[in-house]
Amino acid sequence: MKGFRYTVVLGALALLVLFLLYPLSLVLDASLRVKGTGAFTLANYAQIFASKYYLNSIGNSLLAAIFAAIGATLIGMPLAFCLARIDMPGRTVLLTLATLPLVLPSFVAAYALVLLFGHAGIVTTGLREIGIPMGPIYGLPGITIVFVLTLYPYVLMPSIAGFRAIDVSIEEAARNLGGSRVHAFRTVLLPVAMPAVLAGALLVFIEALENFGVPVVLAEDRPFLAVDIFKLFAGEADNNPAAAGALSVLLIAGTAIALVIQRRYLSRRRFATSARAAPPPLPLSSGWRALATVFSWGIVALSLLPFVAVLFISFLHFRGPVLTWQLAFSNYLTLLEGSFRPLYNSLLLATITAVVATLLGAPIGYIVTRHRGALSTGLDVIGMVPFAVSGTVLAIGLIIAFNSGVLVLTGGWLILVIAYVVRKLPFCIRSSSAIVHQIEPSLEEASINLGVPPLRTFVRLTVPLMASGLIGGMILVWITVASELSSTIVLYTSRWSTMTVRMYHFLEGGEGAGAASAAAAILILFTAAPLLLIHRRMRRQDDPML
Amino acid sequence: MTTIRLDSVSRSFGDVRAVDRFSATVEDGTLFTLLGPSGCGKTTLLRMIAGFTEVETGSIWFGDRRIDRLPAHRRNTGMVFQNYAIFPNLTVEGNVAYGLHARKVKPGDIRERVDKALERVRLVGYGPRWPHQLSGGQLQRVAIARVLVIEPEVLLFDEPLSNLDAQLRTQMRVEIRQLQQSLGLTTIYVTHDQEEALAISDRIAILRAGKIEQIGSPEEIYQRPQTAFVAEFLGGTNMLPGIAGRFDGRTTEVTSCGTTIFVQGKAAEAGQKLFLSIRPEALRLAENSESPVLHGKLVLREFLGQIQRLHAALPDGTQIRVSTLGTRNVVAVGAAVTLAYDPAQITVYPGQ
Repeated sequence: MKGFRYTVVLGALALLVLFLLYPLSLVLDASLRVKGTGAFTLANYAQIFASKYYLNSIGNSLLAAIFAAIGATLIGMPLAFCLARIDMPGRTVLLTLATLPLVLPSFVAAYALVLLFGHAGIVTTGLREIGIPMGPIYGLPGITIVFVLTLYPYVLMPSIAGFRAIDVSIEEAARNLGGSRVHAFRTVLLPVAMPAVLAGALLVFIEALENFGVPVVLAEDRPFLAVDIFKLFAGEADNNPAAAGALSVLLIAGTAIALVIQRRYLSRRRFATSARAAPPPLPLSSGWRALATVFSWGIVALSLLPFVAVLFISFLHFRGPVLTWQLAFSNYLTLLEGSFRPLYNSLLLATITAVVATLLGAPIGYIVTRHRGALSTGLDVIGMVPFAVSGTVLAIGLIIAFNSGVLVLTGGWLILVIAYVVRKLPFCIRSSSAIVHQIEPSLEEASINLGVPPLRTFVRLTVPLMASGLIGGMILVWITVASELSSTIVLYTSRWSTMTVRMYHFLEGGEGAGAASAAAAILILFTAAPLLLIHRRMRRQDDPML
Repeated sequence: MTTIRLDSVSRSFGDVRAVDRFSATVEDGTLFTLLGPSGCGKTTLLRMIAGFTEVETGSIWFGDRRIDRLPAHRRNTGMVFQNYAIFPNLTVEGNVAYGLHARKVKPGDIRERVDKALERVRLVGYGPRWPHQLSGGQLQRVAIARVLVIEPEVLLFDEPLSNLDAQLRTQMRVEIRQLQQSLGLTTIYVTHDQEEALAISDRIAILRAGKIEQIGSPEEIYQRPQTAFVAEFLGGTNMLPGIAGRFDGRTTEVTSCGTTIFVQGKAAEAGQKLFLSIRPEALRLAENSESPVLHGKLVLREFLGQIQRLHAALPDGTQIRVSTLGTRNVVAVGAAVTLAYDPAQITVYPGQ
């Protein structure tokens, strides 16, 4: 078992150093060198801080991320309280639906906003026809709306857990000591749940700051950090890898600070109240309950509306960029014209990644949970680094690292899988570690005591006990990789183009609105269907069993 | 035929010395209990015998075989865990057969041995059931059957009854003791419950901060505690500080709690500080008695069914506990009480 432990830890460390730290160090290095001569310089940073455009870009990205975090908290926290404590019709369905925006591709939601409220959007033109002028949705407002609607589950999920983790006796004690319900909420429930809420809000901030797909669709020509990095690196007109590197380093610094705050401060301040009895539903008058129901369903419906709209629109006929009210499959025909290859690529790459990331993440999660030591702690920390690195930046680093030299990977499928696996590894480690936490160590000890050697105990007992949780995690990886855009757009080649890249190109061309909507619809189907399936399965599992 | 010998076994965690040069011999077929408050090192010691915690210095022997360097899965010990550690993904049968599969026993024999083990713990017919369908007591029995079936050299119990309710606890400990005696298995049993330890053991080791305070039979330990810690931990006692006075050849006068208490024999040199241990049941209510008496005032009466416990204040205000049978001699709270005692039943410990 010791051999197994060292193999896993050292192997994982080697992979992370080669495919994460080394590429990132090259990005940092590029940002500190004069283009051409290679001499050390801080000029790239000076250039950024002297440029109004780049300062604007940083400012816009930060503002969008801050607004997104605030908005997601304002929506997510009350919704969490309603779902945790108010008995309303369709609560379990609502819980499932509310998690959907997390895995549905957010740039599809952004695109839906364009279809509805863009220059030629259905709503915009409709209102214009009846004489109501409507301002453009592009830029900060639209981007913030999409972030809030797609990222609020990051606040919702931990908040629900937070509100549920409060033992009923604590609330009863507050009431018994003379507090009203509102008072008890303000003085006990909210402070106890708050660390979980804020941890979620910071995650929203990080995700929003890194996000490439939403600003690329909605920014038009306004500067946004993630988009500018991509354009500076891959753009044909204003190519400047050194500036791209400097902006990347700033972006990583921003997300890393948020992540450190989130991990160091908030996640440690969780109040464990070891709830034995889940708090009961609040006794509300039917009026209040109706209000809570309308609010909850309203929020969830609103967040899913863009996706539903895209599904419908994909079956309408486009004449160039202009939408008509004719039902047709023309969009799908345009999209799949010539080749099913991108669709096939998306599914294939997602499948390979899901399997590899799970196989790597499961033993790592097991070891960082069961064996505390300097090496496994180091692995735990490095394993979280990808959280702070946007897909675009990682992809840029991989290109710099493996474009020439001993190991050339650019241009193939492997570099895509590597980027995906590295990006999904934190999730796999976290989820596997959460599963291991639930398995009593004494189970493994009992097995060893009965004569089964440690490594065989791991394979024969621990792995089967982890299996159902691991499969759930694997499906989530599959879903998110199938709709990945930010690193794919940097790394793809024409042979290994994916569905998301196709959609991006149709959008960029401007003429392909119809085909883009068909691509978006296909992505929605491929992400929503498996998620609904695992939710079904998981609900059945945590019913009476244990 | 397994005698367990622990020879000067030590283990530290960081700066904490969890087990400090522990030596003891557990005779073949006996039940040996490690008793002590939480954090005294008893579980660490048990896990060292099972092989889940490494021994730092010292050695552990089963008969003339040294086992402390063997990996845990090759020690042939049967351990019953505090939370039972029943595999949730296997049926009762699957759990019981687990160790036999590991030993590559023939399928036909497995069937037979599993049935026999289930019969032994009175779970006939429960084989196909899933763990989540069983009660706490039944899970406990599965855990016991699971270790009995592999015919281990020694049995190890880690606070096996602490998750059961009071009634089931007394019932299960009788079952465990009868099984152990009928199989003649050498057993080490860890608990923090002194009543359980007294009821079940052939011998008891009382641990405190990783060290042995006393080893002996339950009777020895209860009646002749060698240290103040053992006396207080086992059954509870009144520990009264005092100063030794005159020795008249038969008893020593001790000034304590504002009164004088007589102790059999020469307790200490006159003027020395000491502690007197008087068990609550060594005191009785008496109007006029031949033996020496203490005078006090009744502060509180607890009715406990078979006995009642009185709390009386001695002249300087120190409270002592008195256990008496029945409910006769009921005295009102606040009234004076006279407590008779036998000087021979008072144990003396040196003061600091």
